[in-house]
Amino acid sequence: MLSRAAPRAGPRATPLGQMPHALDLANLPDADVVALALEGREAAHRELIRRYERPVFSLVFRMVRDRELAEDLTQDTFIKVLSHLDRYRSEFKFSSWLFKIANNVAIDHLRRRQLDTVSMDGSPHATTPDAVMASAIELSDSSESALDEMEAKELGSAIEQAIAKLRPEYRSCILLRHVEGRSYEEIATTLDLPLGTVKTYIHRARHELRRALEHTRE
Amino acid sequence: MNHRHLLPNEIDLLVDGEAGFGVAPLRAHVAECDECRARLDDARVVVDALEALPHFAPDSRLADRVMAQVPVFVPAHVAARDSVMRWLPQSAPARAAAAVVGTSIAGLLTVAMIWLASRGDAAIFATSLFADRVQSLVIGTARDLALSLLGESAVAAIQASGMLGVTLLVLGFLGTAVGTILALRRLATASSRRA
Repeated sequence: MLSRAAPRAGPRATPLGQMPHALDLANLPDADVVALALEGREAAHRELIRRYERPVFSLVFRMVRDRELAEDLTQDTFIKVLSHLDRYRSEFKFSSWLFKIANNVAIDHLRRRQLDTVSMDGSPHATTPDAVMASAIELSDSSESALDEMEAKELGSAIEQAIAKLRPEYRSCILLRHVEGRSYEEIATTLDLPLGTVKTYIHRARHELRRALEHTRE
Repeated sequence: MNHRHLLPNEIDLLVDGEAGFGVAPLRAHVAECDECRARLDDARVVVDALEALPHFAPDSRLADRVMAQVPVFVPAHVAARDSVMRWLPQSAPARAAAAVVGTSIAGLLTVAMIWLASRGDAAIFATSLFADRVQSLVIGTARDLALSLLGESAVAAIQASGMLGVTLLVLGFLGTAVGTILALRRLATASSRRA
């Protein structure tokens, strides 16, 4: 289930215009694979999926914390990206564009879910403390049991749980910075945020994570 | 020793492994200040934990599911180029041989065209002879077919009536065919409604 395989990007092995074999395709830089995909080469589409399915899925999974949902959102991300490859601007890194769409898909879902969620603090129409208590949804540690056993195992470490408690925008920044190894500038481009904001978000995220981990160490 | 403790953004600079002339004094301070060293170590614990996080693998059928919904469009110029490339040999020696043969054939055809152009009368005579042969062959075949289908007396009557007779015959045939098709369609529609 787990892997640490990084996307490969090497020197150009085959001139464009000729369809390289699968092994050569794996050695081409992203820009060339995108160019081949734009020529209608299905193998190039599949190569882009192969390179980025794990990073994208990992990002989305850590954002939404639901494996099945993350599978669907990852699928949506790739469908959007591959169906609109002609809109990709080659002056940017392909991976930045891909992560931008993946992040937007995940954030959109989280926002929609927030709108659909019933308040856990009790009904806004409750007039007495008893009514508030009666209409409140109890959220205890047992709510984690909503995650199935595998998810709990995968996302159950202290750092994963601390990440889950971060604000979504902090979560995207910190995951792109330290799990995907992106620079501050790339994150700013990917998330359409000013560089200073990215630095602030990452600083605050680290601070919150440090505080969360202090509890586990005590 | 500098007694000012490091600011949070300075700790971030060290955690991110930034280089530059401004970082050296910060490192020097950390080397001497236990409190700042402890803060830096705490920050590094978090970053190390984050960087040790693995990637998760999605379902192995993800690519198939995505490709089932992505329209793959091959532009016309690419399709044309591919068709040409398919006819070309793969190896370099075979391509060189194909180029030699292709050039020779093109050269021979060009010489033949020049020869024909230089003998214009002969070319026109040969062409008209060929056209006459084809015309007589087509007319003969049509006459034989009409004789076998309609009989000798009917063919003689058509020949006697001239162009007008042939035109009326063709129009009559077309009218009958169209009328039959329309009647069959109406019949089929009526029976399907009843069903």
